[in-house]
Amino acid sequence: MSVNALFTSTFDTDSETPPAKRRNWGGQAAAIALRGGSFIAFAAILLYFSITAPFFFTIGNIGNVLGQSAILGVLAIGLTVVIIAGGSNVVTGGIDLSVAANMGLSAAVYATVIQLGYGDGLAVLAAISTGALIGAVNAFAVVIVGVVPLLATLAVMNVVAGLELVLTQNTVVPAATDFLSFLSAAGPFGLPVLAYVLLVFTAIATAVVQFTPMGLRLYATGEFPDAARAAGLPVKGLIAGSFLASGFCAGLAGILSVSYLSGSTTGAGDMLLPVVVTALLGTVFSRRLVPTIIGTLLSALLVGFLVNGFQLLNISSTLVNGVQGLLIILVVSATTLLRRQEN
Amino acid sequence: MSQSIPAAGSGFALNIKGAVKHFGGARALSGASLAVRHGTVHGLVGQNGAGKSTLIKVLAGLHRLDQGSIEIDGQQHDTLTPHLAEELGIHFIHQDRLLVPTFTVGEALFLGREPRIPGTPFLDRRAMQRQAAEILDRYFGLRLPNSALIADLSTAEKQIVQITRALLHGPKILVFDEPTAALVRREADILFSLIRRLRDEGITIIYISHYLGEIEALCDEVTILRNGIDVATLAVRDTSAAAIASLMIERDIGEMFPKRKLATGAPVLSVSRLSSPGKYQDVSFHVGQGEIVGVTGLLGSGAKELLRALFGLEAPQSGEIVAGGKPVRFKRPSDAVRDHLALVPEDRRGNGIALDLSVTENTTIASLRRFTHLGFLDRAGERAEVDELIERLQVKTSGRDALLRSLSGGNQQKVAIAKWLSRHSEIYLLDEPTVGVDVGSKVEIYRLIGDLAARGAGVLVLSTDLAELVGITDRILVLFRGRVVKEFVSSETSPDAVLAEATGSLEGRRHVS
Repeated sequence: MSVNALFTSTFDTDSETPPAKRRNWGGQAAAIALRGGSFIAFAAILLYFSITAPFFFTIGNIGNVLGQSAILGVLAIGLTVVIIAGGSNVVTGGIDLSVAANMGLSAAVYATVIQLGYGDGLAVLAAISTGALIGAVNAFAVVIVGVVPLLATLAVMNVVAGLELVLTQNTVVPAATDFLSFLSAAGPFGLPVLAYVLLVFTAIATAVVQFTPMGLRLYATGEFPDAARAAGLPVKGLIAGSFLASGFCAGLAGILSVSYLSGSTTGAGDMLLPVVVTALLGTVFSRRLVPTIIGTLLSALLVGFLVNGFQLLNISSTLVNGVQGLLIILVVSATTLLRRQEN
Repeated sequence: MSQSIPAAGSGFALNIKGAVKHFGGARALSGASLAVRHGTVHGLVGQNGAGKSTLIKVLAGLHRLDQGSIEIDGQQHDTLTPHLAEELGIHFIHQDRLLVPTFTVGEALFLGREPRIPGTPFLDRRAMQRQAAEILDRYFGLRLPNSALIADLSTAEKQIVQITRALLHGPKILVFDEPTAALVRREADILFSLIRRLRDEGITIIYISHYLGEIEALCDEVTILRNGIDVATLAVRDTSAAAIASLMIERDIGEMFPKRKLATGAPVLSVSRLSSPGKYQDVSFHVGQGEIVGVTGLLGSGAKELLRALFGLEAPQSGEIVAGGKPVRFKRPSDAVRDHLALVPEDRRGNGIALDLSVTENTTIASLRRFTHLGFLDRAGERAEVDELIERLQVKTSGRDALLRSLSGGNQQKVAIAKWLSRHSEIYLLDEPTVGVDVGSKVEIYRLIGDLAARGAGVLVLSTDLAELVGITDRILVLFRGRVVKEFVSSETSPDAVLAEATGSLEGRRHVS
């Protein structure tokens, strides 16, 4: 006979506040500190550079940073979508390590198509299709085969980097068209066109992810797949879609990089670390400590300003990598600790 | 809610007949029937393994019946899919609340059927908030700030949100699966009045619970499952919790418990005035050499926490533990192991054994030092020991190299105990030692426990299976709300008497409104 067989008040009526609620206070305090701290850190960095580097706080320089952050920002936004739909657990959650390599291959495809004498229209189509196709391969490996995203996209990253080498013979493929020069030139108010591209792209991504039912469903899928399933959502489809989106972003970033560098160059893989930092750092700029598009934009700008400030101060750019690595560890351990506290 | 709801009690909202379901070789349902009248609250009870959850999963469209028929609203359905079940208006309130913690209440409520700003593809967050506030206030008198996140809500509030989610679909049948498991008293009362109101509005309720008092207070009819078959369906006003309980229990288990003679030696484990605020208070007892002492209590009685404290998994605030003749203070499990304590946890697969290691590795994992010479493992010595233990415990396995995964639950449990025998442990803490074990293996584990004591070990068994506890132990401590309320001599008591103490007897009943 089960002792639980008869109902009785098993609960201490004196302590009716569920303990979970009390524990949340600590978690909330930490969350506020993390969020507030990140904004303060952002402000402090801006302040420090504006005092020490004379040109830092000028419209021209800020526009510069925006423009230079465009490629990073677009890639990081793609990765953010994957993290939203896959969950922010760093090991088992959503991650797409192939974005940077994907961008490299898409850029190479674009430049090669131009070299072969075709127009920008076809090149754009080819680059975006390349990105999306690689996204589809990731989606297949993760959703259909069931490989952990971390491993699946790591493998795809290497394959894609190899394909880029095969296509370009490890050389620079120059590309110069009117469209590309337009992208890399200055636009209204003297700000680079790339800066506008970043802002417009962020606005569109924000609208879709933050303000449509699909966006909400992406969040539900990542945060609590069981709840998403119970609500009748196509969990697998949403995850696959997130990889397609990040592939698309990589294709787009490829086009931007061809214009920025006047061709396709090797070494796209070096973008991976900054992109991952940016996407992970983005969570600290949101009220609920979840990845958001605006948060990712802010963190892309933070990384951009850091690099820019270092350059203005003549600090070796090799330090930047170290700082980015530190940021990853900091953000990941902070959010991990926070999540542990919440559970 | 649907307009065409038949009057309460007329005809069946749900009628499952002769349900048979096999999983591999095991029979989960062997001809169970469940007939639920329109607009009633229908209880479904049974011990673990009686087939409740299988039956409910069939209703949810998650399992397909091997045999039997399902009729919903007089309509025959050969196969149910989750989608069809939802279309038919069957909704489930699960024990674990399936709500995204970082969502606002509105977002969680409308996930999957979000309102849009008219003429745009965008979410109408204001409408979600407004409608959520409106419906929560109207139905439940619950007022939450618009910005409240699911993570900020109490367990009961989360449950209300979950119920509201179901209500938005206009349900015809609502299934509650152990809904009060995580609720405090007052919250449970609110839930009960809510369920009655839903019933009065014409929704048919299926209510699954271990707490028979709840069934008595809330349900119109109750179906009792045992061994995959419905042994009775009764009108609740014509029966009692005690009568329902006796229908749930297997009666022919008298021979399951091996007789053993008592020869208790000096205490190997003494606990005095052990306290941990909010968990247990002033707990004192001792376990003698060769003695089997039982501990029982409902969820929340502190019994589980007490066992954890004895093994160094959590620290008591005050009190003393004496093990092996000296006072001890366990900061971590390894301290307890060093002093010859052994814990066989309830969550066997999670903490007791490693499924993907072999019988040998599982057996010697805690005692490798004994088999290590000059830094190398003495494989031969290990093998000899494992073979001896397999023989002694009669572990049914293809050999010592078989993976634990390939063993049955009962034999896995034997290996979990063998691990500590190999470690030469002297005090055994067994947490629900026969959970998830088939009847035949239960008997063998009972013998094994008796054998442990006969060889001079002290055994503390935590179990909620009272027949088992009375059958195999020498004494039984009953915890209620953190205190030892009664100590029984096992040979002079009965499961019913222990149950009465564990549930606070009459005191508990009075609480049920």
